[in-house]
Amino acid sequence: MDQRTMLDGPAENWLPRDAAYDTYRLIRTRWVGGGMVLFITAICVHILGLPLPEAGLYTLGIVILLYNGILLGVAGRASRADQTRSVLHFRKIMILQVVLDWLSMAVFIHLTGGITSPAIFLFIIHVVLVTIILRGQSPYTYVLFAVVMILLVTLLESVGILPHYQVIPGMNCDLCHNNLYAIAQVVFFSVALFATVFLTNSVMRRLWERERQVMGLLQTTRSISSTLELSIVLENLARGAAEALAVPGASIRILDVTGERLTMVASYGLSRVYLEKGPVELSGSYLDREALSGKTVLVDQAEHDPRVQYPKEMAEEGIQSILVAPVIGRKPLGVLRAYSNLPNHFTMKDADFLQAIAHQSAAAIENAQTYAALQQAEQRRTQFVRQVTHELRSPVTGAQSLLRVLLHNMAGELTPQQQDIVGRLENRMGTLLELITDLLALAASKSFDQRQELETITLQPLIQATVDSFKHQAAEKDVQLDLTMSETPLRIHATEDGLKRVAENLIGNAIKYTLEGGSVTVNVTKETSCAVLTVTDTGIGIPDEALERLGEEFYRAPNVRHSGIPGTGLGIAIVKQFVASFGGLMSIQSTVGTGTTITITLPLN
Amino acid sequence: MAKGKILIVDDDPDIALATRLCLESAGYEVFEAHNSETGLEIIQNNRPDLIILDVMMDSTTEGFQMALTLRSPDPNSDYRAYSNIPIIMQTSIHSTTPVRFAPDQDYLPVDKFLDKPVEPEELLKVVAALLKKT
Repeated sequence: MDQRTMLDGPAENWLPRDAAYDTYRLIRTRWVGGGMVLFITAICVHILGLPLPEAGLYTLGIVILLYNGILLGVAGRASRADQTRSVLHFRKIMILQVVLDWLSMAVFIHLTGGITSPAIFLFIIHVVLVTIILRGQSPYTYVLFAVVMILLVTLLESVGILPHYQVIPGMNCDLCHNNLYAIAQVVFFSVALFATVFLTNSVMRRLWERERQVMGLLQTTRSISSTLELSIVLENLARGAAEALAVPGASIRILDVTGERLTMVASYGLSRVYLEKGPVELSGSYLDREALSGKTVLVDQAEHDPRVQYPKEMAEEGIQSILVAPVIGRKPLGVLRAYSNLPNHFTMKDADFLQAIAHQSAAAIENAQTYAALQQAEQRRTQFVRQVTHELRSPVTGAQSLLRVLLHNMAGELTPQQQDIVGRLENRMGTLLELITDLLALAASKSFDQRQELETITLQPLIQATVDSFKHQAAEKDVQLDLTMSETPLRIHATEDGLKRVAENLIGNAIKYTLEGGSVTVNVTKETSCAVLTVTDTGIGIPDEALERLGEEFYRAPNVRHSGIPGTGLGIAIVKQFVASFGGLMSIQSTVGTGTTITITLPLN
Repeated sequence: MAKGKILIVDDDPDIALATRLCLESAGYEVFEAHNSETGLEIIQNNRPDLIILDVMMDSTTEGFQMALTLRSPDPNSDYRAYSNIPIIMQTSIHSTTPVRFAPDQDYLPVDKFLDKPVEPEELLKVVAALLKKT
C-alpha cells in the first residue's frame, strides 16, 4: 500500500466532506440491506413457506441494523473532529464497515444455503461499492477476504462443523457435499469477484484521471483570472499541467524578441541543474520547431530520440518521455512541455489535454503582454508629461524672475506705463506657471505606479502646515481661517506631495472664492475607519449644474468664469485624482451665494 | 564697500541674471557660476559670504551634491574652511520628483529653500537674515 502512485486515485485529497459523504451513503444503503434481510425472511418463511433458519436470519437483520446505528453515531463524532483527524477517523470507520459487512454477508450466505445460496450474487454489489468507495486502497485485498470467507463457510459446512441449511426444498441435498461442485462454485465465484474488481477499478481509474484533469484545467483557468502577474500565471499553468497529467515535471518556454531562442519562463518539478543547462536555440531544437509549427509532439524514449537536444541532461534528470505542445496565440509564442519518468508514458488523450492548457497559456501570455504594454505606455506618457512640464516651467520661471526684477526697478527706473506693461506680463507669466504646475500635479496624480509609492502619513501635521502657509493670504483678504482637528493621530496611505496638493487646492480655492469678511473652516475628524477632512467656506458657491462637471479637467463653473477670478480649472480634477489614488472619496455640497463644503474621506491605515 | 560677497550657482542664465540684478541693486557683490565645478573654484578663490544654489544642473541633484561636498564632515575635506558658509537652495524641484527635500541637518545641509521664480523682496529678506547670523 505504500507503493501508491498518483494513479491510485485522489485518496490523498480526500476531504472530510467526501469521506463523510461515502460513509453516510453506505450507512443509508445498509438500513435498506438490514431491512431487506428481515423483510425477505418474513416473506420466504411465512408466505412462501420455505424452511429457512428464521431465528438466525432475524437476529442477523437486527444485528446489521444495530451496528449500523452505532456506525452512524461514530461517523457523527468523526465529522466534528478537525480536518486531518476527521479523514483518518472516516478511513477507519470505512474499513470497519467493510469488515462488518463481509462478516454479515458470510453469515447471511451460510444461513441461506452456503455455496448453494442464491444470495451469493449479492456479494458482487458489495464488491463494486467497495471498489468505488475505497479509492485505490487495493480492493483486491478485501475481495480476497471475501473469497476466504466463502471458502471457509463451504469447508465448514462440507465437513459438518457448520450445519447446512437446505433452503430450496427440491434441490439435491448432496450437492453441497459434492466437492467438485463446491470447488467449481468457489472458483467461478472468485473469478467473477476479481473480474468485477478489476473492471470497476479500471473504470474508476479513468474517472479519477478525468477528474484530476478537470481539476487541473479548472485550476489553470482560475489562476489565469486571479492575477495579471505573468510569471505567477505561468508557474501555475506549468504546475497545473504536471498535476493534471500526473507527471513529475512541466515547463513553459517562450520565444524571446529575436524569435530564435526559447527562454524558460516557468517550470515545475525540474532540478536547478536541468533548468540551467543552457538556452534552447530554435535552430538546434527539432522538437520545439516541430511543435511551433502547430503540432503536439510525443517523445517516447527521450534518451534515444535523435530529436532531443540535450539527451544526457534528460537522462540525468530521469526524464524518459516528453510531450511538447505549442503555445500559439495570434502568433507562435513558445512551447509547453510535460516530462515523465516512464518511457512511452503519454497518450494522444494526454496530448489533447496538454494542448488545451497550452491554449490557456497563450491567452494568459497575450493578456499579460497587453497589460504590460498598456502599463508601459501609461508610464511613458506620464514621464513625458512630467518632462515636458518641467521643460515648460524653466523658461517661464526664468522670464518671470527677470520681469519681477524689472518691476522692482532693480534694472533701472521704469516709467509708469512700462511698470504697468511689465506688471501685466508678470501676471500672465504667473497664470502660465500656475497652469503648468497644475498640469504637472495632474500628471503626477495619474501616474500608474502611484499605488506603489504610497506611504503612511499622519494627517494632522500636514494639514496644520498647509493652513499655516495660507494664514498670510487669508489675513490679506480679510478672510477668517479656522482649523479644528481630532486629537488622535490619523494615519493614512498617501503620497506626501499628493496629500499636500489636495489640502492646498481645497484651502486655496476656499479662500480664493470667499469674499472679504467671510470665513473658511478646516476640520479633521475620525469616523470609524476613516479620516475625514472637510473644508467649509462662506464663498460664492457652485451652481447645481456645475457640480457634476467639477471634476472635469479645465472645467470652471460659470459664476467663477465671469467673476474674473483667475484659475486653471484643474484644481478639483487634481484633488479628485489624488483622493481616488489614495482609496478615498470626495463629495461637494454647495449653495450659490451661501458657501461650499468639500468633504474628503480617506481610509485609515 | 559691498555689503557682502554672494555666489550664485545656476545653469539657467536668466535666473542667474535676475538673482544677480536683485542682489546687486541691494549692494551685494555677486559672483556667478553655471555649474558646481566653477562654483567650487570661485569659493576657493573668493570665499563668498553666502551661496545661492540651483538643484538641477547637469545632473538632477548636482546642487545637492555640491552642498554635501561643502558641508562634508570629513576633517580632511578640501572645503573644510568653507563649511559654515550659509547656503540657500533655489529650486522648482519640489513638484517634479517624489523625493522630499527639507533642510535636514544630516541629509541636506542647506539653510533655506526658496521656490523659483525669484521673488526679489523675499530673496533679499532671507539673504539679509542669513548674513546677519554669521
